[in-house]
Amino acid sequence: MPTLIRLEDASIGYGGRALMSGISVSVESEDFLAVVGPNGGGKTTLLRTLLGTLPPVAGACSSVEPLGVGYVPQRDHVDALWPLSCGDVVSMGRVPGIGPWRRARSEDGEAARRALARVGLDSLWERSFGTLSGGQRQRTLIARALASEPALLALDEPTNGMDPSAELSAMDLLRDLHGAGGIAVVMVSHRLEAVANYARRLAFVDKDQGLWKVGPLEEMLRPDALGRLYGRDVVVRQEGGRRFVYPVAGGDER
Amino acid sequence: MSALSEFWSASVIWRDPLAASVIAGALLGFLGVYVVLRRVVFVSAALTQLSTLGVIASLIALERLDLETEHQEIQLFVAWIFSVGGGLVLGTLGWGRRLPTEAGVGMAYVVAGALVILGANQLLHVAHDLNTMVFGNAVAVPFQDVVILLAVTGMVALLHTLFQKEIVFSSFDRETAEAMGVKVRVWGGVLFFTIGLAIPVAAHVVGALPVFAFLTIPASAALLATRRLPAAFAVATVLGALAAGAGYVGSWVLQVPTGATMVVVAGALVLPAWLWRRVRG
Repeated sequence: MPTLIRLEDASIGYGGRALMSGISVSVESEDFLAVVGPNGGGKTTLLRTLLGTLPPVAGACSSVEPLGVGYVPQRDHVDALWPLSCGDVVSMGRVPGIGPWRRARSEDGEAARRALARVGLDSLWERSFGTLSGGQRQRTLIARALASEPALLALDEPTNGMDPSAELSAMDLLRDLHGAGGIAVVMVSHRLEAVANYARRLAFVDKDQGLWKVGPLEEMLRPDALGRLYGRDVVVRQEGGRRFVYPVAGGDER
Repeated sequence: MSALSEFWSASVIWRDPLAASVIAGALLGFLGVYVVLRRVVFVSAALTQLSTLGVIASLIALERLDLETEHQEIQLFVAWIFSVGGGLVLGTLGWGRRLPTEAGVGMAYVVAGALVILGANQLLHVAHDLNTMVFGNAVAVPFQDVVILLAVTGMVALLHTLFQKEIVFSSFDRETAEAMGVKVRVWGGVLFFTIGLAIPVAAHVVGALPVFAFLTIPASAALLATRRLPAAFAVATVLGALAAGAGYVGSWVLQVPTGATMVVVAGALVLPAWLWRRVRG
């Protein structure tokens, strides 16, 4: 599979100050990589470095040109005060492809509507973005990312603040979108349980522990590997075809 | 003869000032939608101060260095440099993760304000012209100012027509726009360039207080009254023009200060907008 992004022996951070060093990771086409770690552990910094919006402090970051990225920010980073319809927001996904000077064409509108239909919200095209529920907003933002017809879908904490049902629904949607082929998914989450049933590969990042590890899901979900990330005993249980991951209450703190 | 008929009979006197006020109100009303939605209301206050500082700097240069800055075009040009420069710095550059943006805006506002006071204190001969140059004189605006204002409005309209989708995307969700390859600094720069361009010329016509008011109040009323961005831009533009025009006429008829009347009229427009919002739900 062709490599979309490669980070080699990179240090990531801000303003020339490295938060983490020695990071090597690549994202292949049709990959599904989940970056997991605690809040403030460096996940978003890593994602921004992978996407090229934050240069690595040291090392190299390369990507295919042009790399079509569809990005989904944390839901609460998007201002619901703006008087925009759901369709307006999704149509923004076409802006990078249209380019300056030019106006949107009819095929741009059709692509935006198709993207909204893929996330199951085609009936909400005219609805005000600010009046949508949290789950609907998240789907709208995913639709905006899809409207650009990207090779890579990057998501920052896509299920943050969602109730369990909405979280499951959002993750099922991502699985379906990825399963339809032609798209790689990179997502960051502080909730391992949210990604344990969906990602193909996992990366652990925690700048405070100096922890960086990436590998196939099965290998990364071993209790000893998870124990280091969480700093205490962790149980991985399989039930009804789903994995459940949780730290043990009262277990050994490491 | 009633005050209103007196007003009509003096159309030669008010024609140009009224036109300039209406154009300035419309221009600032339009830009105000971005100012309010991007939550940078106080950037406009800081830019107005910086623009004033530019005028003071050119006057000091005139007096102390014997430079040829007595022409208003030169003063306006210096004010533009300060205002556009300030807009680009305050609007597009941050303080990284060390300070919130508001801290930089507050510092620019208060330091520029203090420098204006210190600078004005240094002026010997042209201080009497300062009020007009800084705080506007909507009663007596020469046709030349209307032309400059129209040229600036045309340039702002052109840039915002050509790059509207990029400016909207970068303003609404900078993080996503940047991740998806939109040059957010460029488009933020274009927006603040146009705001920095509009402020000195508008302040020269209507004064500093109405500039701040027109960048805030018509847009706020429009955002209360509308549900879509194009409608908000259109309504804010119309309300800005209406407040400036009605304020000008009202101040003439009632013989009260022009700038303050414009601000009060603009403020009065918020109530019907809020009621309209309540009625529509």
